[in-house]
Amino acid sequence: MNNDFYSSSILPYAAIIIKICRAYTDTQEDFEDYYQEVCLQIWKSRNNFNGQSEWSTWVYRLSLNVNMTLLKKRKNNQKDSSSDLLAGEATEEPQAFADESLDKLYRAIRQLSEVDRAVILLYLEEKSYQEIADIIGTNSNNIGVRIKRIKERLKKILDGKVN
Amino acid sequence: MEKSIETMWKEGFLNSDVLIVPKVNNLYDKKSLYIMTKFKKMFLKNIRGIVIGSILLCIGSYIIGAILAGSIVLIMMLYVAYTAYNEMKGLEKIDKGQSSYLFLKSFKDWIERSIDRYGRMYRFVYPILILTFYFGIWFSSSFEGMRERVGEHSDLFLGLHPGTTILVLSFAILMSIFSKVIHRKDVKIIYGGIVNKLDSALTEMEELRD
Repeated sequence: MNNDFYSSSILPYAAIIIKICRAYTDTQEDFEDYYQEVCLQIWKSRNNFNGQSEWSTWVYRLSLNVNMTLLKKRKNNQKDSSSDLLAGEATEEPQAFADESLDKLYRAIRQLSEVDRAVILLYLEEKSYQEIADIIGTNSNNIGVRIKRIKERLKKILDGKVN
Repeated sequence: MEKSIETMWKEGFLNSDVLIVPKVNNLYDKKSLYIMTKFKKMFLKNIRGIVIGSILLCIGSYIIGAILAGSIVLIMMLYVAYTAYNEMKGLEKIDKGQSSYLFLKSFKDWIERSIDRYGRMYRFVYPILILTFYFGIWFSSSFEGMRERVGEHSDLFLGLHPGTTILVLSFAILMSIFSKVIHRKDVKIIYGGIVNKLDSALTEMEELRD
């Protein structure tokens, strides 16, 4: 991956990638791994971008897919073996942000299912229902209801009504 | 909850520390170690499999009255397992402090050297195992009736059926000649997935270096 590609095609969208990776990882080390993996996958899949959507939409989709896949893999690895390299990270420092509210919100988002995390992230990024549906690969009819349900759950988590 | 989640989100990102872009380097550090750990796990499983398998074979050979053959196979396979275990210790010597690319390169070299050494070892192991099995089963007490029946219909040489013996001998010689090729295929079947991962990681890294 050359620096030109990184500077012109990834760096301007780094905020998107960061926001997504933060929602799928608990520790700073994992976050950096996921971020790097997303960058690598963007570079590797760049020829698959057909221009039918915005580059940023494509980056959202790819970032979410990579994060969901990595999270699934991590969960499987943790199930497989407690001595596994990827699983043996209980001693790592958890992610913490200077902004307390955002920190709380991210902690709450991480308690959602993988798909719900994706939906709420896209909603918070002010994507339209149609865009969310396009990125997630679902029907836009149910997005509104789903967002309402996720927001209710998030509110409960933030209010300490759900563990 | 005082603020809405939308406000928490928007205000949170006004603080610049959240969006600091991590450095993209040492991309493959973890991946490299993961590949090697997985390989080592499979390698250990394989060694355990050899030991358990050969013990079961020895027990089986005792049951059919070919304990000598079973013991030879057991000793032979324990030797193979011991060599494999020692070979695995060589993996620990690979410097984990070097770059991921060089680390994986060293790992790949180790696999190649190991295949080469094993190929040479199996040049003797394969034929000895085949002949031990053949002689062991043929002269076992369970095969006594069969030996007698074969002896009634054809001449035996040193108690062996010449045609079958030549066939088994030829097979043992062929296995010896092609031991390296066969072992390479074995490795591909057992460790194919992980070797492919290793190869693709190396290819990616070579592209990244360009």
